[in-house]
Amino acid sequence: MTDQATTPTPDTDETPVAAPTPADAPTPIRATPGVLEGEEPSVEALERDWQRDGGEVPSEEPLADPAHGIVEGEALLRVSGLKKHFPVYGGLLRRQVATVYAVDGVDFEVRKGDVFSLVGESGCGKTTLGRTVLRLVEPTAGTVHFGALDVTRLKSSELRRLRSKMQIVFQDPFGSLNPRMPVSDIIGEGLIAQGLTDRKARDRRVGDALEAVGLRRDYTRRYPHEFSGGQRQRIGVARALALEPDFIVLDEPVSALDVSIQSQVLNLLLDLRKDFDLTYLFISHNLSVIEYVSDRVGVMYLGQIVELASSEELYRSPRHPYTLALLSAIPDPDPRRRHKRLVLKGDVPSPVNPPAGCHFHTRCWLREQLGNPEQCVSAEPDLRELMPGHKAKCHFAEQVSGAKAAEFAAEHSTVVPAVVDA
Amino acid sequence: MTAEATVAEISVTIGERPAGTAPGEDILLDVRGLQTHFHVMDGTVRAVDGVSFSVPRGGTVGLVGESACGKSVTALTIMRLLDIPPAEIVGGEVWFDGREILALPEEEMRHLRGNDIAMIFQEPLTSLNPVLTVGDQISEQVRLHLKVDKKEGLGRAIESLRTVGIPNPEQRVKQYPHEMSGGMRQRVMIAMALSCEPKLLIADEPTTALDVTIQAQILELLKAVQERTKSALMLITHDLGVVAEMVDEIVVMYAGQIVEQGTAEQVLTRPMDPYTMGLIESLPSVKKRGGRLSAIKGVVPSPFNLPPGCRFAPRCPYVWDACRTTSPELIPVGGHGQRARCLLHTPAGAPRRAAVFDTAASSGTTAGHGA
Repeated sequence: MTDQATTPTPDTDETPVAAPTPADAPTPIRATPGVLEGEEPSVEALERDWQRDGGEVPSEEPLADPAHGIVEGEALLRVSGLKKHFPVYGGLLRRQVATVYAVDGVDFEVRKGDVFSLVGESGCGKTTLGRTVLRLVEPTAGTVHFGALDVTRLKSSELRRLRSKMQIVFQDPFGSLNPRMPVSDIIGEGLIAQGLTDRKARDRRVGDALEAVGLRRDYTRRYPHEFSGGQRQRIGVARALALEPDFIVLDEPVSALDVSIQSQVLNLLLDLRKDFDLTYLFISHNLSVIEYVSDRVGVMYLGQIVELASSEELYRSPRHPYTLALLSAIPDPDPRRRHKRLVLKGDVPSPVNPPAGCHFHTRCWLREQLGNPEQCVSAEPDLRELMPGHKAKCHFAEQVSGAKAAEFAAEHSTVVPAVVDA
Repeated sequence: MTAEATVAEISVTIGERPAGTAPGEDILLDVRGLQTHFHVMDGTVRAVDGVSFSVPRGGTVGLVGESACGKSVTALTIMRLLDIPPAEIVGGEVWFDGREILALPEEEMRHLRGNDIAMIFQEPLTSLNPVLTVGDQISEQVRLHLKVDKKEGLGRAIESLRTVGIPNPEQRVKQYPHEMSGGMRQRVMIAMALSCEPKLLIADEPTTALDVTIQAQILELLKAVQERTKSALMLITHDLGVVAEMVDEIVVMYAGQIVEQGTAEQVLTRPMDPYTMGLIESLPSVKKRGGRLSAIKGVVPSPFNLPPGCRFAPRCPYVWDACRTTSPELIPVGGHGQRARCLLHTPAGAPRRAAVFDTAASSGTTAGHGA
């Protein structure tokens, strides 16, 4: 796997490079059906888009520090209406036969200094969302503001400069480090891309980054295979840190690690946030880890945020039936606390063909309890504010409560069918 | 009781019973002093190094530990599914249902596997045959072990899919593994394992590859079928939450050895071994929010270069000089069947004990400083 964080790969970010001078225009957000995602658009197509957009060459925005002047508690990252749809090709002519709605209209804000977490099951779009925010994946629609800067409108050269401010740490500590590079190059690569060509200065930055993550400075000549999983993940963090970012996307940073190592890395991440004034977008499926690290949490289901609240609020009084089911599913390591679990029926539906109305209605226990109201199927609920700072995407969020869930869990048999029959 | 007596007592009996004699009727599986080594290019890995535990009939036992602690190798040794070489079963006995099975001819072992002992693996996709329908796979096993005809075999397959909560089993038996989701495949694995009504079900990380809501489904299912069929369950996992919900007894492994064993409540609420204590402490939970997680420092020692004394000594917060030279035995702690492998529980550790175990933890022990 190449390191997309530090070296933007041509196939995702640099389409305008292929075009002549006019292509210096911002990369258009291609919501138009004419141009298919995933294909290199032709020069003509790019020119056409550019002319349609007015053909204006944007003024050189100073990219020094888009986060400048934002104090703790103010929004550093604002995501609105973000969508990422992947085409599915099929048939003899390789036509687009379907669309995967990986991220389907997401709005949230990350305040400076916060840990904002995205939690959800596999396929809910949390990883795609994290990458779309950094434009490692081009969005289909929507905007991402980093400070005053609209990331989705940046040219590739600007984007590259911005990379030093927005970094990512990947899940797999084995796949995300090039096995043929020594640590000095793995961490130093991003610095070179940012124009730090002086070897001595670079080595110093690499050494500093290694030290910051609790590794020894003299590990720079070693190769990834010489390290354990936990140490590799530290190297991944050091690589992000070396560029002195303001914001880091942590994509399942501890999921591949053993419990005892996991806590070391979590402690490290929280320390670094304090020491280096960082803001995190933390992506994980592990609800206990999320509870521990987060200030605010967004729960995702089928490409959408279904509940958004402060960590304490979310875990204390969840207001979306899906969140309740997720929390109820966590196995409790204290054998004295046995509770009747609220077990959802069936699997997550395919994001190619999400259910009509509320995406969750096919598995929803509350809907069943309420006697299957028509509204759940006919109308998509809004992500409504129930209390200041607490939003849920459910028509009946007011009726969600732990007591209701317990009542439902008690009524139902333990062997739950694997599939929901239509 | 002196430390010498304790150690001597342990060495004559491997585990609970003298070598060479069958365990009592109530014990289904009795593993004694099991040692499995791997001979590889860099040397010998003592993957399982003197492991003893037993599973009562219809009982549930959890084998817990981090990667490479030897928990899976223990299961594979019991099932005799290891490639020999590089593996070698160096010592020990495995008694199953009144018979010692490590010495059993392969022919008889094959009969035992599937019929009496069944195993569920972590990754259902790689454990199922991709070119056979799930119906064929289940009925093949049923026909082989129960000597029934094809039609009866398929009928049994449909029935077993129904019991694991797969709707329309008549249609589903015609499907291939790739046409099913992860949770569904794990249900098929469970259906297959249970189709011959085994006396012992070994589940190796059965829910690790699954999402949390699907994990909840599978755990509920395992519990329900285990209660109904009265088969014993040996659950292997790294997840303390999963064992807490599923098993009565817990065996904690570290670097090839058992470091603590006891009932789930003993081990999880009053751990007596510093490693178990560290594991539980390092779980993120509400009460630690805002504070730091207590992590276990360092990493698991290399299997080629195990520390001379206690294997956990280099990472242990309570280590003292004796730990680096003396290998502790797994000794009874507290008199209620709990055992721990730590010098703190020997007379030599007595002066340090009170500082490590607070009064709440030590109140359940008879180690000399009760509540």
